[in-house]
Amino acid sequence: MTARRDLAVAVAIWAVLSAIGVVVVLGTQILPVIASREAEVVNGAFVMLTVASVPILMLVVVPIAYSAIRFRASDDDETDGPPIHGHRAFEAGWVVVSLVLVIGLAAFGTIGLLEIRGGPDADLEVRAESTQWAWEFAYPDLGVRSKELVLPVDRRVRITIVSDDVLHSFYVPAFGIKQDAVPGRVTYLHVTPTVTGTYGAQCAELCGLGHTKMVAGVAVLELSEFEAWVAEQQPQQP
Amino acid sequence: MATLGHAVDTAAERRMLLLGVRLFILSEVMLFGAFFTAYFVLRAQAPAWPPLPDLERPELPLVGFNTLLLLSSSVTMQWAVTRIGRGDAAGFKRGLLATLMLGTVFLAIQGYEFASNGFGISDGVFGSTFYTLTSFHGAHVLGGLLLMGVLANRARLGLVTREHHTAVEGVSYYWHFVDVVWVVLFLTVYVL
Amino acid sequence: MDRWRRPGLARGVLGGVAGFAVGALPIVAAAQLGADIKPGHGLALGYIGAQVGWLLGLGALRFWTAWALGRAADPVDQAAAHGRAGDWTRYFRFTTDHKVIGLQYLITSFVLFLTAGLLAMVLRLELAQPGRLMDGDTYNTVMSTHGIVMIVVALIAIVGGLGNYFVPLMIGARDMAFPKVNALSYWLLPPALLLIVANPLLGGFDTGWTAYPPLSQQANLGQQAFILTFITLGVSSIISAVNFLVTVARMRAPGMSLTRMPIFVWALTVTTSIVLVATSVVAAGMTMLLFDRLLGTAFFRPSAGGDPILFQHLFWFYSHPAVYVMAVPAFGAVLEVVPVFARKPLFAYRLAVLSFIGIGVLSFMVWAHHMFVSGMADYFHIPIMITTELISVPTGIVFLSALGTIWLGRIRFATPMLWVFGFLWNFVIGGITGVFLADVPTDLALSDTYFVVAHFHYTIVGGMVYGLFAGTYYWFPKITGRLMDERLGRAHFWWFTLAFNATFLPMFWLGLQGMRRRVADYPADLADVNLWTSVASSTIALSTLVFLVNAIRSWARGPKASANPWRAHTLEWQVASPPPVENFEHLPTVTAGPYEYGVSASGPVIRPGGATGH
Repeated sequence: MTARRDLAVAVAIWAVLSAIGVVVVLGTQILPVIASREAEVVNGAFVMLTVASVPILMLVVVPIAYSAIRFRASDDDETDGPPIHGHRAFEAGWVVVSLVLVIGLAAFGTIGLLEIRGGPDADLEVRAESTQWAWEFAYPDLGVRSKELVLPVDRRVRITIVSDDVLHSFYVPAFGIKQDAVPGRVTYLHVTPTVTGTYGAQCAELCGLGHTKMVAGVAVLELSEFEAWVAEQQPQQP
Repeated sequence: MATLGHAVDTAAERRMLLLGVRLFILSEVMLFGAFFTAYFVLRAQAPAWPPLPDLERPELPLVGFNTLLLLSSSVTMQWAVTRIGRGDAAGFKRGLLATLMLGTVFLAIQGYEFASNGFGISDGVFGSTFYTLTSFHGAHVLGGLLLMGVLANRARLGLVTREHHTAVEGVSYYWHFVDVVWVVLFLTVYVL
Repeated sequence: MDRWRRPGLARGVLGGVAGFAVGALPIVAAAQLGADIKPGHGLALGYIGAQVGWLLGLGALRFWTAWALGRAADPVDQAAAHGRAGDWTRYFRFTTDHKVIGLQYLITSFVLFLTAGLLAMVLRLELAQPGRLMDGDTYNTVMSTHGIVMIVVALIAIVGGLGNYFVPLMIGARDMAFPKVNALSYWLLPPALLLIVANPLLGGFDTGWTAYPPLSQQANLGQQAFILTFITLGVSSIISAVNFLVTVARMRAPGMSLTRMPIFVWALTVTTSIVLVATSVVAAGMTMLLFDRLLGTAFFRPSAGGDPILFQHLFWFYSHPAVYVMAVPAFGAVLEVVPVFARKPLFAYRLAVLSFIGIGVLSFMVWAHHMFVSGMADYFHIPIMITTELISVPTGIVFLSALGTIWLGRIRFATPMLWVFGFLWNFVIGGITGVFLADVPTDLALSDTYFVVAHFHYTIVGGMVYGLFAGTYYWFPKITGRLMDERLGRAHFWWFTLAFNATFLPMFWLGLQGMRRRVADYPADLADVNLWTSVASSTIALSTLVFLVNAIRSWARGPKASANPWRAHTLEWQVASPPPVENFEHLPTVTAGPYEYGVSASGPVIRPGGATGH
């Protein structure tokens, strides 16, 4: 087998395995739960990156597997291999392709981030107050406080995140995003939940002994149910 | 391989030692860079500077005078290096001693300034950045003075000669660096 | 009694204890007089005193103090400090021979690796099932200590161990530029390592190895042990870096131009350059944290104008380049081994060198990708995402070089080569998953989850540790003069690789499911995978035993190794195994590059008298 043949066979194997892998990935939802507009974007980014990863993974796995079998020398073989120091065209090609790939990924990432962040407008304001080791949620416009985060579906929420002691982080896996709570400053997350249901919020920045248990429930309701809930929470009129 | 105590510095050993000193100074630049970064960031985020109305920065004339002292000490240091380069051990000793004295007075004045400041290190970010920066610098000045003390001792024993004074050159690089840091410090923390 | 008067370990320990007392005494006195003193003040000053006393007692400073006092150098003492061949006690005192220091670093690293590995077993015990076995304090301290000790290993094992041993040999020098500074950089470590391993006795610390304030401002005294250890490691690293850089710049043998320098030496040059520039920044940050704890400063205290995010910037400005300090030496070891066992020149050597330099430079421009969800200014995210994605280009070139060398080679799967292949598999996974973390949208979901844990274990264990094992198996015959057992080596490799991948591959899935890192418990639906991970990780520990048994038995009575059992071309293989104390009887002259397999039969060296090595 000539060197050309080896290369052709390896490339063919790479192409076939990559194609299979890409097809498999394209049909998969990577985030287990997608309950917000933002999580949709995040999942899309996951799929794109995984699709790009398959041929790259194969680019390493195929040559090392192929070489381990094809170019293995027997134990008593003391000869050297061919004195190939490099290959200008191949090296240049590798660098250029990886640069293009990286720039492409960065471009998609930028677009994705801008899509996730969106504008400053919001239909609802919520304050996520973190303290060692519990969450409390305040709805300043509605005069409501709650230990559980309750939100209406399909409405854009601005969550203002604060901490009164150490760093915490507000993370709802189903919403696909998180943001740290920093004492002394105010941070924000915009979320538009898209699927009703119950989910979990958890603190995602080590905050001491109770970090593990610093979780809270999240409920996404139909608008009418949400309004009913708000009415229930509001202090009774005298 | 560099061995201390050689009667004569070979050219190669001298170059290696001085390269080592310069590289070390590079790491020190990054150290002060980090402290300056903290200062700039915290100052930029403060609503006013000084952040509290009763915190006043030290009087400029005294600190300005101190700055001139330190700058002069770099001149005397460089003069000392030139002297020993010409084989003038006596001139070297005079220059070294002058540098030592100027550096010591600098520290004394700074100590006086600290004592008469109306704020301490625990007075918010103002006190924190001011005293951390100046104290780290002061510690480096002290280190330099100790090194010069060692050089003075060796000069006293006749061990610093035209052929053998690499350590003098190394210490002079360090001293000039300490001086440059002070100028930056003076301009950013005291003046601006 | 004589032992206490001679410089050495015994006197060093005595000096350390005395120094601690001297340092802590003013604090104790001040406390008695009613000053507002915390135990932390005593620990800080006591530790500084202990280091000074320890170094003085050890005799580490005696040549400099003699010089300062104007005393003539004692050639007998200098020779004694260099150490005689065959004298095993030289490993237990201040010895300036770089080979001794290299072994001291290497063995210390393995001991630390085993210690931190045991701590990991404790963690996985807690995480084997839902529910709690230990309280939060204990778990957090075990987790934090595991982290920082492993970080120390990752930073010093290859550079301090294999680097110190082999860089002078590989460039044709008799020692490093500053042998006493070299020894000092090692002997600074024992008090610091003792302190960090003993931190639970001081109350532990619960902030992870990242030590973010405000939590770290309030944490127990163990946090301070962490800070003091960190700063000590920093000082040791910086002086070591100066040593490496001056050595490589000025002590290469005649004929060894930069383009004929072995790739391992290039890797360490870039690595130590990073260390030189980056370390002071985190030292400053840690000092500010220490001052916040002890002197009432407000650097990271929001109520007084401070900023917790400032700490993160200072910390990661060092700690991201630090991961390249961990990875690039491994790249160097792998690329050093691969030509020897593929019997082919290193493919794209010059491009590989450029890529190391590129990694070094870029590594300073990406740190904030650890802070995408920290609350830092939004405009910073996109430039950092771009630079972070860009760094995968030079990293990819490492693969180009390795794969290009392997392709069309004549491959022998001696144990070192197995580790090279394992590295390639692990690091491509580590690298690809890094892109998921570099991309901000996906990072918003993945940050602080087990995906990150999996990613950095794939790069640091799968990368650095595999490079360390590749280098250790490769150079073991040179260091010890004995061959390791190939069958045990293969068993170690396969067992470790299967156990490692079984342990960490599922963690990517756990992260995607939303399992946070640094937690002691998790939802019930993640129980099966966590149990599997715990069981798999326990077998990693067992596989390491295979390595230990192999190393100890082989060193004691393995078959004797010739000067060049691998028929390699670099200079360390042109001298006996182990090398003579002065490395080379006559300093060599180099006439060609180090990877001319297929071109010439042996090393590119002119022997004294003009006879060539070809």
